[in-house]
Amino acid sequence: MIINGVTIDETFAEAFPMKGTRLIITALNAKWAMISAQAFTGFATSVIACGCEAGIERELDPSETPDGRPGVSILIFAMGGKSLAKQVETRSGQCVLTSPTSALFSGLDNDKKEIALGQNLRYFGDGFQISKMIDGKRYWRIPVMDGEFLTQEKTGVHDSVGGGNFLVLAESQAQALEACEAAIEEMKKIPNVIMPFPGGVVRSGSKVGSKFKALNASTNDAFCPTLKGQTKSDLSPEVESVMEIVIDGLTKEDIDKAMRVGIQAVCDLGAENGIRRISAGNYGGKLGPFHFHLQEIMA
Amino acid sequence: MSALTFTLKRSPAQRIDCSLLTPNALADKSVSDIAAIELVMGNSTVRVDQAFDISGDDASDITIKNSSSRLDFIGHNMTSGKITVAGDVGAYFGQFMEGGELDVTGNSGIYTACEMKGGQIKVNGNTGDFVGGARPGYKNGMTGGTVIITGNSGDRTGDHMRRGYILIEGDAGDYCGTRMVSGTIAVLGSVGAHLGYAMKRGTLLLTQQPSQGISANFNDCGSHTLAFLPLMLASFKKLDSKFAELETFSRVQRYAGDLGGIGMGEILVKL
Repeated sequence: MIINGVTIDETFAEAFPMKGTRLIITALNAKWAMISAQAFTGFATSVIACGCEAGIERELDPSETPDGRPGVSILIFAMGGKSLAKQVETRSGQCVLTSPTSALFSGLDNDKKEIALGQNLRYFGDGFQISKMIDGKRYWRIPVMDGEFLTQEKTGVHDSVGGGNFLVLAESQAQALEACEAAIEEMKKIPNVIMPFPGGVVRSGSKVGSKFKALNASTNDAFCPTLKGQTKSDLSPEVESVMEIVIDGLTKEDIDKAMRVGIQAVCDLGAENGIRRISAGNYGGKLGPFHFHLQEIMA
Repeated sequence: MSALTFTLKRSPAQRIDCSLLTPNALADKSVSDIAAIELVMGNSTVRVDQAFDISGDDASDITIKNSSSRLDFIGHNMTSGKITVAGDVGAYFGQFMEGGELDVTGNSGIYTACEMKGGQIKVNGNTGDFVGGARPGYKNGMTGGTVIITGNSGDRTGDHMRRGYILIEGDAGDYCGTRMVSGTIAVLGSVGAHLGYAMKRGTLLLTQQPSQGISANFNDCGSHTLAFLPLMLASFKKLDSKFAELETFSRVQRYAGDLGGIGMGEILVKL
């Protein structure tokens, strides 16, 4: 398959089941809601070492938030419910509770499976915390130095998908980056997904395993352009740079949509802008149950 | 199917216990079965069809017409459905109620919503004392649900209240929120003396300054913008009440007490 001179490899991205939730952070103004959200989603690029993958989904108008203030919706994913709960609790405690004027709400209802949100943060109130049941949901009012921190007690957990991806193979670093930026711009418009790496783009895609026993992941040498003559390379001579976009989403369909608009944005730049191929990372289909076939997505 | 309607034949000489006339108690019963139910009246009993004319057959939607303040325990232990009462009701209206809806066009007696657990009660008039309270000797009053009073409430509203909402569109009597453990009482009108006496936790939300002032057992914590208030007021929008029309606000004067006890309760007065 070739779109605008860009070859779409006959391959697939392999993704894994994760547990995810959506949180809504509000503040006195959009600036401080964003600051808090950025702190919460910091160091959350990959479960390999961060324990979770998190990102900002979008900014929210006051009419869309529970308390009528400007807000930001974020998505956070982890490999299991317990690890998700731990990450949500520590990040909420250190990055939202501490952030001036903030409030924290669940953005995902699931009565059957919930994890703590403010349930344990309430103890920071040292006995002065106050519970309020509003519309069947419990909230905690925790006294803090700038007033009160309001947080919902629990948030719903959704069976999610993590690790959807595609690789952009270009003739230069600058062209690969420009294409990825264009893709991210379009993918941000798709709800229920995040691209957790810095700016949505990862330049250090990994393969499973390493020659060093201590590591369970290492550089994806087949796609490293400087190793073309040293390893079994997957790159043609004219490809000088490869960048990857990783996508986590609440459902497989959400990731499908995000990949489609992202790849399309890259292909719109086309061969004339140095984009040669679109490929994807997988492990032979043996590890992850979700397969995103590039040519099917772009058909 | 039409609403199961009980029309009181005449004002009873003695009080009648109507606790058996709820949607859950009458579900799957035929009209003849219902007619034969014996209700406690004073120190004797009376058949339902002796006290009431019965029409309709939908037990999930009960109407009591020509009601009297001598009809006690209406909506007792109710778990679902609706009871609409035309007229006044007696004591223990909605006692132990867990779900469903109660609506009375007139006044209700003492212990309305006594130890209520869920659902909604609307009194389109005044209520007696101890709304949402606990029975004498019991520690927990209302533990859930919403009570809307369009008129005035009696004394000791929310005595031992533990959760839920009591929304008073008119005035509240003396000792409002006394011995309250948690929950929220909101009053649009005035409040009587000894507001929040022996209150442990919970919130008394007032839209006007109490005419008799705040008790010395409550300390002024200053004026604040509280983020939970818009959220709570927004939850009132779905109610058939003046509280639904209340313009949202978050700025209040906060008083904490009763400091004669643990002092974790609060009186919030709109600024």
